[in-house]
Amino acid sequence: MKRFEWVQASTTDDALGQSTRTCAELMDSNKKTSGASVVKAGGIDLLDLLKEGILSTQRVVNIRSIDDLHHISFDKKGCVIGPLLTLAEIAEHADIRKKFTALADAAEHIATPNIRNAATVGGNLLQRPRCWYFRSEEFNCLKKGGKDCPANVGENKYHAIFDNEKCSIVHPSTAAVALVALGASIELTSRKGKREVKLEEFFISPSEDVVKENRLAEGELITAITIPDNGWKSAHIKLGEKDSFDWSIGDCAVALDMEGSTCKKAVIVLGAAAPVPYRATAAENFLKGKSIDEKTAREAGKLAVQNAKPLSQNEYKVTMLEVAAMRALLKAAQS
Amino acid sequence: MASLHEAKAAEATLRVSGPGPMPLTLKINGKTHKLQIEPSETLAETLRTTLGMTGTKVSCDRGTCSACTVWLDGATMCSCMTLTVDVAGRAVTTIEGLASEDGTLHPVQEAFIEKDATMCGFCTPGMVMSCAALLARNSSPTLEDVRTACSGNYCRCGTYPNVFEATLAAAKKGAS
Amino acid sequence: MTEQEKGSKSKDSTDPPQSGKDPATDGKKAGTATAHKPPGKTKIIKVPVGYYGVNIAEVEREVPLDEPPALPVNAHLNVIGKPTRRLDGELKVTGSARYTADIQLAGMLYGRMHRSTEAHAEIRSIDLSGALAHPGVRAVHIVSRAIGIAREREDKPRVVEAKVTFDRKVGVPTVKYVGQPIAAVAATTEQAAREACELIKVEYETLPFVIELEDAMKPDAPKVFKGPTEQDGTAGGGGAPKGLPQKGNLRGPETKGMFGGDRGNVETGFSQADVVIENQYRTQIHMHSALEPHGLIADWRDDMLTIYASTQGTSALRGDIASVFDLPKSKVRVITEYMGGGFGAKFGTGNYGIAAIFLSRQAKAPVKFMHDRKEEQTVSGFRPNSFQKLKIGAKKDGTITAIELESYGSGGTALGAGVGWAAQSMYKSPNFASEHYDVLTNQSPGCAFRAPGQPQGIFAVEQSIDELCEKLKIDPMAMRDKIDDNETRREQRKAGAKLFDWSSRKPAGSDAGPIKRGLGMAQGEWPRFVDMNSSCELKLTNDGSIEILSSVQDIGTGIRTVLAQVIAEELGLKPTDITVRIGDTVFPTGPASGGSVTTGSITPAVRKAAYHLKLKMFDLAANSLKCEPEDLQMKEGSIVQKSGGGSITIKKLAKGLSTDQLSVFASRTADYGGFELGDFVGFGRLSSVQFADVRVDTDTGRIYVDRIVAAHACGRPMNPLGIESQINGGILQGISWALYENRHTDKNTGVVMNPNVESYKLIGAKEIPKIDIVLLEEYLGRSATDAGGIGEPAIVPTAAAIANAVYNATGVRINTLPMTPDRVLAALRKGGSK
Repeated sequence: MKRFEWVQASTTDDALGQSTRTCAELMDSNKKTSGASVVKAGGIDLLDLLKEGILSTQRVVNIRSIDDLHHISFDKKGCVIGPLLTLAEIAEHADIRKKFTALADAAEHIATPNIRNAATVGGNLLQRPRCWYFRSEEFNCLKKGGKDCPANVGENKYHAIFDNEKCSIVHPSTAAVALVALGASIELTSRKGKREVKLEEFFISPSEDVVKENRLAEGELITAITIPDNGWKSAHIKLGEKDSFDWSIGDCAVALDMEGSTCKKAVIVLGAAAPVPYRATAAENFLKGKSIDEKTAREAGKLAVQNAKPLSQNEYKVTMLEVAAMRALLKAAQS
Repeated sequence: MASLHEAKAAEATLRVSGPGPMPLTLKINGKTHKLQIEPSETLAETLRTTLGMTGTKVSCDRGTCSACTVWLDGATMCSCMTLTVDVAGRAVTTIEGLASEDGTLHPVQEAFIEKDATMCGFCTPGMVMSCAALLARNSSPTLEDVRTACSGNYCRCGTYPNVFEATLAAAKKGAS
Repeated sequence: MTEQEKGSKSKDSTDPPQSGKDPATDGKKAGTATAHKPPGKTKIIKVPVGYYGVNIAEVEREVPLDEPPALPVNAHLNVIGKPTRRLDGELKVTGSARYTADIQLAGMLYGRMHRSTEAHAEIRSIDLSGALAHPGVRAVHIVSRAIGIAREREDKPRVVEAKVTFDRKVGVPTVKYVGQPIAAVAATTEQAAREACELIKVEYETLPFVIELEDAMKPDAPKVFKGPTEQDGTAGGGGAPKGLPQKGNLRGPETKGMFGGDRGNVETGFSQADVVIENQYRTQIHMHSALEPHGLIADWRDDMLTIYASTQGTSALRGDIASVFDLPKSKVRVITEYMGGGFGAKFGTGNYGIAAIFLSRQAKAPVKFMHDRKEEQTVSGFRPNSFQKLKIGAKKDGTITAIELESYGSGGTALGAGVGWAAQSMYKSPNFASEHYDVLTNQSPGCAFRAPGQPQGIFAVEQSIDELCEKLKIDPMAMRDKIDDNETRREQRKAGAKLFDWSSRKPAGSDAGPIKRGLGMAQGEWPRFVDMNSSCELKLTNDGSIEILSSVQDIGTGIRTVLAQVIAEELGLKPTDITVRIGDTVFPTGPASGGSVTTGSITPAVRKAAYHLKLKMFDLAANSLKCEPEDLQMKEGSIVQKSGGGSITIKKLAKGLSTDQLSVFASRTADYGGFELGDFVGFGRLSSVQFADVRVDTDTGRIYVDRIVAAHACGRPMNPLGIESQINGGILQGISWALYENRHTDKNTGVVMNPNVESYKLIGAKEIPKIDIVLLEEYLGRSATDAGGIGEPAIVPTAAAIANAVYNATGVRINTLPMTPDRVLAALRKGGSK
């Protein structure tokens, strides 16, 4: 790891005055990085990027121990989570499990126990993609300011099946899949002030800006995550090649507004499917007014992946996501 | 926006350390260490190289294999993915600090020996730390709990069946 | 003596071994006492032979005069055969065991390699000036010969003259894979070494390359080597027969194999068959992924080169280094106190090791060179991938009439990727023909990996036999009873099937829902290799302490503990009474640990040493007790008169020694009754039968292994605790290979995409099945301990057993590894299941 300056921030204000770069900007080979400063929360993804030598920074601003970013509260409207809550804290929180089952399910299956103890939910939302070309110092891919995508003509078994023409990363955050399904918003704070963004609209497709995965601006921090409590049922299903530490090869979060056994409204979000958490709207529309059983869930699963355009090595992921959607629907409906 | 100038104002109140060693006080296994630490140094490096506490192993160096597991304020962490400067003020427990002062082994260590839950032994310190942490928070775990607790610990020799057996046996003996 | 033994000793017992037909040799020629006469003066001893609880009998062996008396079966022993805690257990669970990675010497520098970014290229220039200017750098070294890869047969210069900016022109090899070592630095810190490596600039003239096995087989594929190649084996195996033809990247055919070669006429055989099946099988690259990376510390001094190494063979490594650096072996010392896993990959000095020694010599300081995880997963060896075409013909009753195998294996830039001899030697077939080809690609060199070649070979053979059973409607167990001569496996099948409840197995594809359960089995074998370089020194010191010294190393298998058991048994002590000092070449030469040789090779020498130390102690004790040495025995730390009366403790006897110590040196004796091949392959096989109980989720293509029943044998079991651990380990590596592990290499650049243990997927705690082990107590009567190895046989049949269980679950065969969801789903779709 290259050497850097260290700043320990003890309040959000300290941190806001310090952070000048997002990781995305720091990794764009077309931009100068001298004098850059980057924020560290749990530090898992940042250390990974620094150790791989694909990111370097002059300064690291530590926000991990800022108390006012580490909190959780519930009221009638829902729940407000500080971005520094760890994945373990989220997975183990009884009220999150009760009211926002999909989020607890998702957090529980991320990475390893050690990582869940260190990694924060804010960091999880902002981590960079796991595409192995992006993560490899040997390739200067589109995302790093390069000219082409080596994955689309190379090893793409774990890549996107939707929105993959330009850059076929899948969004790396599993928590995001659940949070989007639950209708969460995030509060973004900079020295200029605060803004509230629906999480679903926070993430952006490579067609909009290939070097970024989200709308985080320079100098901005996630300062809160708000989840509305509308009494919906929810669930998250993650499929992997194994159950001990593995990245998702297809996951799905669903949130259901149920009236008796009838589905009034469904939100279905696919993970490890596209460069952003992917809303399966055709499947959502199909379920409106139907009861959710084996048959309708299977049909919804099919509709969820109907527009998939798999690459040379990832056709199986269409099935994975179809099954993940079907199982998540049944799990939520039966919860 | 491209440089630090915007941040300069805040620097009046914030201390910028490094690059280069900065003074740091660490509490490891109940003992206080006053050290000079480079901000980019990981806890695993500090333990192994600076302090010569080589019981903590580094294998993947990316937080995947959990061979470097230590406890920070009682929670298991990968010391290879933890910056030492970020540990100031937190209690660090390493494999060297698990047995009692008088050398009496932790029940999990005792059970690992009895059930042959160690082979080449390189993953063992991390595996022991994960399993002992489980018993500290759950004195009567199920097999599934043990599997989950060490689901981040790789063992290439394949000691897992004996690790499970040992941890459950240690729990039964009333470890906590 | 137990009832069973009494029974089996009588002439009318059910299955007594007949003179001339020894069950342990499976009826193969020679191997009896009369067929082999050891050199020098001899004696006849009666050794137990057979399976404990089944048919133990005594067989006469003519052995050298100084051999210890025959060891009775384990039931009559106090220490050997009893589950025994690892002597180093406490050091390991407390983190006190010191590995190469942990060692820091005063003034130690850190070595690091600058590696090729190209898959195939000539080097035009190397610019080391940046590295040399780095303040932390103390030495640099250009790699003029990359080791591990094959060499071209034509002895014309295979190096390209390169401009090197710092002093002179040096020869450098052609770059043949991404990650090939080019130059190394030694610096004061790891970070400095890393930075200096980044400052090395190399100019390349790129050449066309080929990455994948089946692409490299094509006639118009880019050639990895200009001409025919050769490669010698290492202590861990590998290497290839000399002088085989080579066309493009295809080297072969090799038709011989370890146990003979072609026999009969396959055309005739197939014409006699009622059923002929023909299949293609593919297996993937398998990374060792040991937790401790490759590495060593070289400390070059004028009078001695000391090496601390994470190696599977201290003595072999010493030999390697001595020959590369033209040093007498006596001036090279290799130390391996503890090592964190090898699995076949840790033989030889490696490019890192050679560089470290050069750097240490140059810098006049110790240099530590450990691979990082990326290097470990890219340039530290792998089990070759394979492509096999297997054809088997059989009659309606199961009798095999012909077997034909065409196989291709790729160790990347290395040779020796044979798929074993499974097809040749597992089953009776009068007609057999095989052709094996090494396929060269622009990937890093492969190397030995736990049972080299055999899991790949067995994956094909055992699935084909299973398919034959299905076609002929013969139960797989009954089929093997018919076609398999191996007596050990017959017993293993019986015991294993019972424990597994084989009879509950349903026809293929019986389950209705999306989750389908299946049961399957497969068999395997591994030769009983012996390393005659197995010696030790055993010392009694005048304080009564007992110390065993040998250069043999404990790579995690527990040999340290087994040596103590052997001595404790002979001297009437506890294993914890023995100090075991191993893993240092200043001690007598011990075997390298690979190919399941260690226990079978070193324990007879150690027992012989203990026996002779005991005789010396008896002589001294007889003097002081005023009795005949023959009247003495060892008991709980004392030498006791059998006739009652006198006794003296070892401690007291030691105190009376006229000098500080009593010492015995012993070397391994050749196998009793001789060897099957040369002086390195004993009679009998390390045989195994494994049963798998799996579930297949036909919606997702995920395979879940719920239970493995493993029936194994390794001669006389020494420490059942350690043996079971090794069996668990073999099975888990087998499952991991079968279901999860796969190295992905970008074929457009040759870059490995998953050089880590995150996307190179290893089995973890949540994938561990229930494992039930049947350990057959097998007596072969071949050495003073009659012990064998267990490392290799444990992994051999696992993947095939799982594949057969998957077929039983789904009615669909998966002939390609790993059986990941993508492949399983594709196969199910093709097979019409679901």
